[in-house]
Amino acid sequence: MQTVIEGENYSVEWDPTTRTAALKGILRLNGLVEYAPIAQFLSHAVPAGSMTLDLQGLEFLNSSGIAMLSKFTIEIRNRKTVDLLVLGSKAVGWQGKSLVNLCKLMPTLRMEIV
Amino acid sequence: MSRFRGLTAKQAMVTVAVVVVLSVAGGLVELVFDWHAKRDQVQAQVTRVIGAIDGSSVEAAFQLNPQLAAKVVEGLLDYEVIRGARLRDNFGDVLAERQRDQGDAAESGLAEFLFGDILSYHRDLLRGEARINVGRLEVQLSPQAVAHDFYDRAAINAGLGLLRALGIVALVVAIFYAMITRPLLRLAQAVSRVDPGHPGAGLVPAFRGHGHDELGDLVGSLNTLLTSSQRGLNERDAAQAELMALTHDLERRVAERTREVEAANEEIRSLNRILKAENVRMGAELDVSRRIQQMVLPTAGELAGIGGLDVATYMEPANEVGGDYYDILHGENGRVRFGIGDVTGHGLESGVVMLMTQSAVRTMVTGDEDSAVKVLDILNRTIFHNIQRMGSDKNLTLALLDYRPGPPVGESDTSVTSHMRISGQHESIIVARHGGRIELIDTMDLGLPLGLVDEIGGFVAEVTVLLRPGDTVILYTDGITEAADDHHRLYGLDRLCAVIASHWQETAEAIKDAIIADVKVHIGAQPLYDDLTLIVFKQVETAVEA
Repeated sequence: MQTVIEGENYSVEWDPTTRTAALKGILRLNGLVEYAPIAQFLSHAVPAGSMTLDLQGLEFLNSSGIAMLSKFTIEIRNRKTVDLLVLGSKAVGWQGKSLVNLCKLMPTLRMEIV
Repeated sequence: MSRFRGLTAKQAMVTVAVVVVLSVAGGLVELVFDWHAKRDQVQAQVTRVIGAIDGSSVEAAFQLNPQLAAKVVEGLLDYEVIRGARLRDNFGDVLAERQRDQGDAAESGLAEFLFGDILSYHRDLLRGEARINVGRLEVQLSPQAVAHDFYDRAAINAGLGLLRALGIVALVVAIFYAMITRPLLRLAQAVSRVDPGHPGAGLVPAFRGHGHDELGDLVGSLNTLLTSSQRGLNERDAAQAELMALTHDLERRVAERTREVEAANEEIRSLNRILKAENVRMGAELDVSRRIQQMVLPTAGELAGIGGLDVATYMEPANEVGGDYYDILHGENGRVRFGIGDVTGHGLESGVVMLMTQSAVRTMVTGDEDSAVKVLDILNRTIFHNIQRMGSDKNLTLALLDYRPGPPVGESDTSVTSHMRISGQHESIIVARHGGRIELIDTMDLGLPLGLVDEIGGFVAEVTVLLRPGDTVILYTDGITEAADDHHRLYGLDRLCAVIASHWQETAEAIKDAIIADVKVHIGAQPLYDDLTLIVFKQVETAVEA
């Protein structure tokens, strides 16, 4: 795991061997402009093949962040080359509901809420 | 200098005093010995002279021969020291007497004192084997004559002693001067030649022959002192020079830094002007955003005009205005349409999306389209394409409520006094039932955020919720549930429900106030991150009875 982006209360980590991107902490950035670095990283992380998005350590994501993930999911869906697995946590309140949208946006997305 | 001369003089005086005392003492001792020797010599001489003439004296006395006696006496006076002589017979009569004629009659008291006890001699004149006393020879010595020799010798001794003393004094003074005073003088001169500014420049030369004595040590110590003093001065000068250099450097750097600071200040002022202009612009933009948001909200008059429903609303924009949206439109037959949504992000762009959402919703409501799927699909496409045109990446949650008095068609439960159809994805809708029981209506499966994708029709659904008297419906945006305290603990849906449950029987206004007060307590001094939007409505009791 290497930290690729680090903010005041959050971090984005990347494990090249398992091709897992992990979002951690509290993400309350303002608008998609501030989410752009994270969006950039996620969309360029895996050109093709399997990719895991680990959100279990993400305690909070505001609506702009959910929008960012939604757009990322749409992009992956349109690209058709990436097999995306999203890991969520039941213990984190926002995820149970919000992650459902990702499945709607990309029916082939695999979601594991543990 | 006078001190050293004084030193020599003192030393000379002390030497003189010591030598004089010693010389006098020595002279006196010598004199005493001389005195004793003189006395012994005189006594021996007189005894010998008298002995030499003993035969003649005895004969003159025996024969009572005055001529012979006179010859004897006359002979005695040949000796200078003898002043007078007398020859007596054994009857005591004087046979012959002779006294030297004394030129200077003055008696010397000193001579008498020194030799007075040995001036008179007498010898009994004894004849033959039988030693018959035939007379007596008396001799008087001249004290002056006796003392004369002594005096001469004493004078010579005194003279020689004086010369010796003077010699010693001169020698001692000269040696003292040569060995101590003169080096000291030279040392003093050398010291006086030392330049206080450069003590190390002229070191005192070592004195020849004083390399290892006290003077040498003194010169060595002095030179060490001068050298270390010079070293101290050198260090001081070096430190001063360094200090000067540092001072100059500091001054130069201060000047340089001052220029830099001035330049930086100018830059800051310039940036400040830009920032101020930017702030003015952003302030204006925020102001516009806030006004857009407030401008299209339903007025108090509109809300009051809704018959049959007790409605309370609350909207507080965050510092950076968010994109919360709500609308309440009442139609005919007590039908009321509620819309609530949240545009992502903040600022003017969110405000514009909110404004067009409001217009689009109102258009659809006015058009009286009944199909929720169609309404939301058209709304989504309208907003999606407008957002695309704007080059924006905003999207929004939106839930629509269609409230109608009376039960829905086909509902047989007579306790149902009204119902509402809900569509679109947004936060859960809370229904507080009569008695305080809370029901949550999840809207996740009723739609998708608008503006994300151009086709959402397949995800839209509708649910119908039956309402009875005393039921209260609460709509809100995530500004309420995600309000954070200083430990980033979210206010949360559970706490919201708890507040509602304990105030369910109150008026919509009172319930709204209770919720907002509790949220504000939770937030504390934290800034408002997002807009707070809240709608509370319930059937008016009288309307139920009617």
